[in-house]
Amino acid sequence: MVLEYIFRRIILLSFMLLLLCVFTFSLSYLFPGDPLTNLSGVQNVSLHEADDLVQKYKLDHSMPTQFLSFLSRVSEGDWGISFASGEPIFKHIVALFPATLELALYALLASIVFGIPAGITAAAYHKNWPDKLINLFTLLGYSTPVFWLALLLIMGLCLQLGLLPMSGRISLLYEIPDKTGFILVDIFLSDVSYKINAFTDALKHLLLPTIVLSTYPTMVLIRFTRDSMLEVLEQNYIKTARAKGLSRSQLIFHHALRNALLPVIKQIGLQFSTLITLAMITEVIFSWPGIGRWLIDSIYQRDFPAIQGGLLAVSTFIILATVTADVMHSLFDPITRNQTHGKI
Amino acid sequence: MAKFNFIASLNGEELNKSPLRQLWRHFKSNHVALVGLWLFIALTILATLAPVLAPYGVNQQHSDALLLPPSWDDAGDVRFILGTDDLGRDVLSRLINGTTYTFGLAILTALITTLLGVILGVFAGMSKGVRSSILNHILDVTLSIPSLLLAIIIIALLGPGLLNTVWAIILALLPQYIHSVRNLVVQELSKDYIVAQWLDGANSWHVLSRGIFPNIYEHIVVIFTMSLSTAILDISALGFLKLGAQPPTAEWGAILAENLGFIYLAPWTVALPGILLFFAVLATNLVGDGLRTALKKRKAI
Repeated sequence: MVLEYIFRRIILLSFMLLLLCVFTFSLSYLFPGDPLTNLSGVQNVSLHEADDLVQKYKLDHSMPTQFLSFLSRVSEGDWGISFASGEPIFKHIVALFPATLELALYALLASIVFGIPAGITAAAYHKNWPDKLINLFTLLGYSTPVFWLALLLIMGLCLQLGLLPMSGRISLLYEIPDKTGFILVDIFLSDVSYKINAFTDALKHLLLPTIVLSTYPTMVLIRFTRDSMLEVLEQNYIKTARAKGLSRSQLIFHHALRNALLPVIKQIGLQFSTLITLAMITEVIFSWPGIGRWLIDSIYQRDFPAIQGGLLAVSTFIILATVTADVMHSLFDPITRNQTHGKI
Repeated sequence: MAKFNFIASLNGEELNKSPLRQLWRHFKSNHVALVGLWLFIALTILATLAPVLAPYGVNQQHSDALLLPPSWDDAGDVRFILGTDDLGRDVLSRLINGTTYTFGLAILTALITTLLGVILGVFAGMSKGVRSSILNHILDVTLSIPSLLLAIIIIALLGPGLLNTVWAIILALLPQYIHSVRNLVVQELSKDYIVAQWLDGANSWHVLSRGIFPNIYEHIVVIFTMSLSTAILDISALGFLKLGAQPPTAEWGAILAENLGFIYLAPWTVALPGILLFFAVLATNLVGDGLRTALKKRKAI
């Protein structure tokens, strides 16, 4: 049963990835300019070079053949060359993605740590002052544009008070060898003498972007946890438990919490899409050397192969995260496995 | 049945009113939502009458008053209530005109999305079998691409500009919209009164127009407010990233980006457009939330 479910999810996953590849491939024809240039990233090709490239990219063959050769190149890691830097796109993505992932993971962690308890508190004190306060807070958080929040924090904390640095991942004073791409892990693994100083400095650089990035997901999680908790608290078994004379904390922690948190697992997986979107803006503001800033720069420079590569990498990651969360959710919650196929 | 009769006799008067009336009564009792509605109306008026209300022209430059702080500051001038920017343009006039671009265009975007989304969503909801399954999977893929990333890709196709932004945001918002409308339709289709209509020999159009639509249009308004707040945020975010409205267009996000270099010298030119953006999104969210709560309350009767 479980295996069958996972098998079906994997088929769905491959289908989604295939569609994504079709979309990415078709972009080289949709973008302005020559499809050959857009696919390979080689500009100003001479005549005999062009012949070789046409051979390599199978442009003289039919569309399905071209697509198949595109697929094999994508799986081999040959994603073309960036217009702007002249270097392979795959190399850029491998170098930049960990930075975005690191920021997104810390932000997600922060939003789970703050969002879920806040949501539970709001539901436990439904229609009392903690609920109202948290509701007001979420409403304000929902309505704040992320770039404005970032600028306000920069104005207040960086420019006026000078407490925190406003751009980059780490001060230029510290030189950390690049191993995993995750700055905190890299510092931990490195054998420099200023490890602790570098670590606090990196944390200081991380603090503001993480706060900015985690605001919106935190609000989503608070809302979602609260609604899910309230729904569970309405159910008959809770009423029975209450009628037996259990206290509020017993009721919530022993009876309601587990069932209420099940849908939240799925919601956490869905947050990656929002996180990456917001990370693009956050990275631009805080000059964070991640994939979002690189993508935006690629648009300014009309670097089409880079846009395609970025789209492919980011979307694949989001699809994987979503499906993983889905599978996790169904592992914990057997009821969802029995739903009829094709239904929502 | 007994329970129903009991409640009906208690609230008989309430139940006699039309559903819309009941909705308005519930909405009205929520004061915060009402404030949101007033703010929303005020912004709409501002968006339509901007050129008349603004004290100066959008791009009118006052070379004698560069980077003037707001009038309550000691160095401020009462001629320019919210100060001026680096080219001596009145910030208040620019912000009022920005309402048309950010808020007005967002409403337009959300309306067009609603039109397309409802048509496609109803189509998706009414179709069955393989067609519905394929549609669902395609929707899943597009939903997994972040809306801003999708908008950015579309802008890469069309080129930057305010109008292209609108198209991009419409296309980026559509999958979410279709998905929500589809869910509503599917939910409604499984109910007994619709089955009864089918059994009476009604055709699809009849079931849709008489059965389903009157029961879901209020929910569509709620989805509309949600997509409106996303549209406002996306238009301004793209303006801020210099991919949407280009200067000197007075779009709020673009104004913010333009004055970013003066964040230390003239913080008000950065803070004020943000405050307006915040209020626009807040008003939309308040109305949407109020509407949702009112719908829930009406259902509970």
